[in-house]
Amino acid sequence: MVVDTQLASFFTAGALIVIGIFAALFLDNLIKKVIGLAFIGDGVNLFIITIGYKPGGIVYIFLPDMTVSWFAQNASYPLPFALVLTSIVIGASTLAVMLGLIIILHKKHGTISASKILGE
Amino acid sequence: MNPLIPLMVILPIACALLLNLLHKKDRTVKVLAIVVALVLPIIPLLASYGLHFFGGYYPLSENSAIAGGLPSYITNSALNVFHPAITYSFESAQKIMIFILGLIAFLAIFTSLNETKRPSGVYAFLMFMGTASVTAILLSDDIFNLYVFFEIAAISQVGIVIASGVKKNYETALKYMILGNIAAPMLLLGVAFLLGVTGNVNITDIIYSIKNGIVSPQNPVLLMACGLIVFGWLYGSGLPPFHTIKSALYSKALPHGAALLQAFSVFTFVGLGIIIIRIFSYLPFSKIVIIVISLLAMILGVTMALMQNDIKRIIGYLAVGELGYIGLGLGIGTAFGITAGLFQALNEAIITAFLFLGFGTVLYITKKSDTRKLGGMMIETPKLALVVLLAGFAMAGVPPLNAFQSKLMLIQASIQAEVPELGIIMILISIVTFMTFMRAFYTIYMRPKPPELQITNKNIPKATIISLLVLLAICIILGLYPKIATNYLQVLANSLV
Repeated sequence: MVVDTQLASFFTAGALIVIGIFAALFLDNLIKKVIGLAFIGDGVNLFIITIGYKPGGIVYIFLPDMTVSWFAQNASYPLPFALVLTSIVIGASTLAVMLGLIIILHKKHGTISASKILGE
Repeated sequence: MNPLIPLMVILPIACALLLNLLHKKDRTVKVLAIVVALVLPIIPLLASYGLHFFGGYYPLSENSAIAGGLPSYITNSALNVFHPAITYSFESAQKIMIFILGLIAFLAIFTSLNETKRPSGVYAFLMFMGTASVTAILLSDDIFNLYVFFEIAAISQVGIVIASGVKKNYETALKYMILGNIAAPMLLLGVAFLLGVTGNVNITDIIYSIKNGIVSPQNPVLLMACGLIVFGWLYGSGLPPFHTIKSALYSKALPHGAALLQAFSVFTFVGLGIIIIRIFSYLPFSKIVIIVISLLAMILGVTMALMQNDIKRIIGYLAVGELGYIGLGLGIGTAFGITAGLFQALNEAIITAFLFLGFGTVLYITKKSDTRKLGGMMIETPKLALVVLLAGFAMAGVPPLNAFQSKLMLIQASIQAEVPELGIIMILISIVTFMTFMRAFYTIYMRPKPPELQITNKNIPKATIISLLVLLAICIILGLYPKIATNYLQVLANSLV
């Protein structure tokens, strides 16, 4: 059975987001919560990359032996990839801040249980 | 191109990075931060209106040198008018909003540097980064660029809370980040849906695609994008269901930090709200959704404020309630209503900063923010009590102060739009706001001082008093001459209808 790559990627992105939201909302371990949040970000990034996917497409780099019309027909859409690069950097920064906070809170409370540290 | 337009964002970012490097060099940090903060409100006044294309990449229709060499199937298509670069749009509404934001940033930074013996370069760094981000949100015509600065603003806000040293600040910061890391990707997903449908992230181009039938307005993906962007908007501005965490964030910041944080929320609310109206106003229910959210914010904000005992939490919840007024103005949807809503946004940012700094003096001299442990402050600081009372009057909409004018305009707009029920609700909420403020004012200033209450530091820095007087002066000036602000806002309001 041939699976459409773009469709499969969209489903994977959706699954990552749903799993991430579940982990962030319902798991008590703060590290697992953060992993869930990373899943959400990764799912959205995968979704954006998938938008730019073109079956059989080439990387958006114009080489000397290409013609403009051939390049326009075969190159994949580059904007989503450029956006995702920024999004990954933002995700890494927020992840670092959260993990830093968890380290401080672990030292203070001696646990990484969300219910004990954050209350409800 | 006007180089002053990007400078409004670049200057605070550059200053922030420099301040971070200069941390512990107290005198240099203080001088640099105050000088740059003073320049922030001046730049928008000097800048001329227009667009700024980063990298100098103009649309093809304005760039004959490149367009001349391209095939006709490109130059005869919509690609001819699309914006190939990140675009900043600076118009009269942005001018007044960035001026007020810059002024509040200056007063908050000025106060913070004078209230502490050893100024923190890192704290000033965060304040500048937040200010730069929110300025970019107001300027950007690129929805992905807006998302990037939305995230930077969120991290800066968390940083301001972490740096405050207030009890339980880390817990609140983490909670805010966890919620933020659900809401912000949802906003990004909304942007991704728009990108997927229109192939664009430039807001003007997205609107062009929808209005000219390149994308069907009935496309359900646009509806999903709208829902997701609204969700991010609720988080960024602290509207329900994020009102609790937002007011908790204010309460864990120092008063000058909280004054700036609420200004970030107000201008994020306005910036994103305008974009939602620009893109999705063709949806029949978009205005109803904004009105319902605003009413919820007003009702929940004031009722929650009534139940609080912490000064900063009271103001935080009142600020959420006041956001509802802005939303109602935008939701009414007439040019007059939108002008009134935007004017209310300016007033709210000023008044709430005024209240945070005003009540912050109580915190400064007693080191307490629990109203149950406070009292008798009228004897200790009688002149400041009068100033704080005026700030409360301004928030409740007592004439001749500024919020009176904006709230009156909002009520008139609701009557003109044949929804007087909204006007009645606004009046009722104003009364409850006034009651809530007077309750807090009475317990802090007018009732007898509890015997166990110690005055730890009676010398309030002159910088704080100057900041309060500046804010009071603005409240009175805008109250007496509202056209100073509304003339700037009308152009944007007319374009949104």
